[in-house]
Amino acid sequence: MSEVNSGDTAWILTSAALVMLMTPGLALFYGGLVRRKNVLSTIMHSFFILGLVSVTWVLWGYTLAFGPDTGLGLIGGLDWLALEGVTGEPSDVYATTVPHLAFMAFQMMFAIITPALITGAFAERKRFKAFVLFAVAWSTLVYAPIAHWVWSPDGWLFGLGVLDFAGGTVVHLSSGVAALVAALFIGRRTGLIEPATEPHDVPMTVLGAGLLWFGWFGFNAGSALGANGLAANAFVTTNTAAAMAAITWVTISWLHKGAPSVLGAAIGAVAGLVAITPAAGFVTPAASVLIGLGVGAVCYGAAHLRLRARVDDALDVFAVHGVGGAFGAIATGVFATAAVGGVDGLLAGNAGQVGLQVLGVVAVGVYSAIATAAILFLVNLVVPIRVAGPEEETGLDLAQHGEVAYQV
Amino acid sequence: MVIAALASFALLVIAWIVAPERHRTPEPIETAVTEAQPVAA
Repeated sequence: MSEVNSGDTAWILTSAALVMLMTPGLALFYGGLVRRKNVLSTIMHSFFILGLVSVTWVLWGYTLAFGPDTGLGLIGGLDWLALEGVTGEPSDVYATTVPHLAFMAFQMMFAIITPALITGAFAERKRFKAFVLFAVAWSTLVYAPIAHWVWSPDGWLFGLGVLDFAGGTVVHLSSGVAALVAALFIGRRTGLIEPATEPHDVPMTVLGAGLLWFGWFGFNAGSALGANGLAANAFVTTNTAAAMAAITWVTISWLHKGAPSVLGAAIGAVAGLVAITPAAGFVTPAASVLIGLGVGAVCYGAAHLRLRARVDDALDVFAVHGVGGAFGAIATGVFATAAVGGVDGLLAGNAGQVGLQVLGVVAVGVYSAIATAAILFLVNLVVPIRVAGPEEETGLDLAQHGEVAYQV
Repeated sequence: MVIAALASFALLVIAWIVAPERHRTPEPIETAVTEAQPVAA
């Protein structure tokens, strides 16, 4: 068994705390984008998941995602149910220089934010009770298996050589596709002002984006699972891609609509962070400039296509996380270099890596779509997913939570 | 790769130079004018 390295352990625990802060950051990011009568319910989605998945992850989520494989590379066994056997000693398999509990806690924060990302799609019309059931089921039946496929050494996608440094497919693609399915299932909001509702508090959204950007250093640089050069590379590529995507989105919206949008800067930064997530530990800083440029343009286009398609993915989760996650996963296959992460991509002469990345995107996207649709269908049989018309008209803050955000 | 990264940033700089500046003024707010009232003695 390996020795615990104090520097690595300090960084992983710090990174876990950084990633934890992303979920309240997401709450503010989404909260600012909705109408004032729904801001508390939107914030509550993320904040409640912080509690909910923290518990389910300890009880059964971690063992399903990272426990010893059950044989086919699809799901972990129940060996570590309620963290039985997960201790302060390092694991033999994962992050072998830090306590196993520290690795588990770091992964828990990823498991928390992933279903929280989906909530942007059904904002302003989802019944809270249905949301809770959906979050538990999705976290267990979609997130845990996909994490196992991609990150467990016994996972089938890991075995094929699919690269995902910090969750481009596991976190962003899976949640983005689920968001699209959820938006189609639940239907459009009533009383929507075309083409979309105006955000009620842009500064709140920008503050949320800032917290997300800050926390993302833990998300990506922490995924090096050590305090080392790989973490430093991931830190720099993360910041560079976010910055490049932010200024690209602003520039395109400026040329397109005649003004440099503040909201565009916030959303563009998040798109850049999404795209660099699978690549952060496999590409150089120069490549991260190109990834930021590409995803800023692609996600801007996707967000506008969504408006034309009249799919009410209320807060553009699919356009940013689904499209950005897929873009980043494939870009990893293009720009990866063995000098950084030990694997070459297309530009270094390994064209096959792009094919593997596309396979990973298709497998995760298709599974997430089918499983999410099944979960929504079953939850809707138990509890209607959508609130009644008068409740939607009143606003979910008062109708579902008995509170209002603002007294003036 | 390095040249492509530098070129992409240069592209943005050119876009900032040619980007339109649309000055928007707030819509005038109409305020009700009340007639002057005599000061009470």
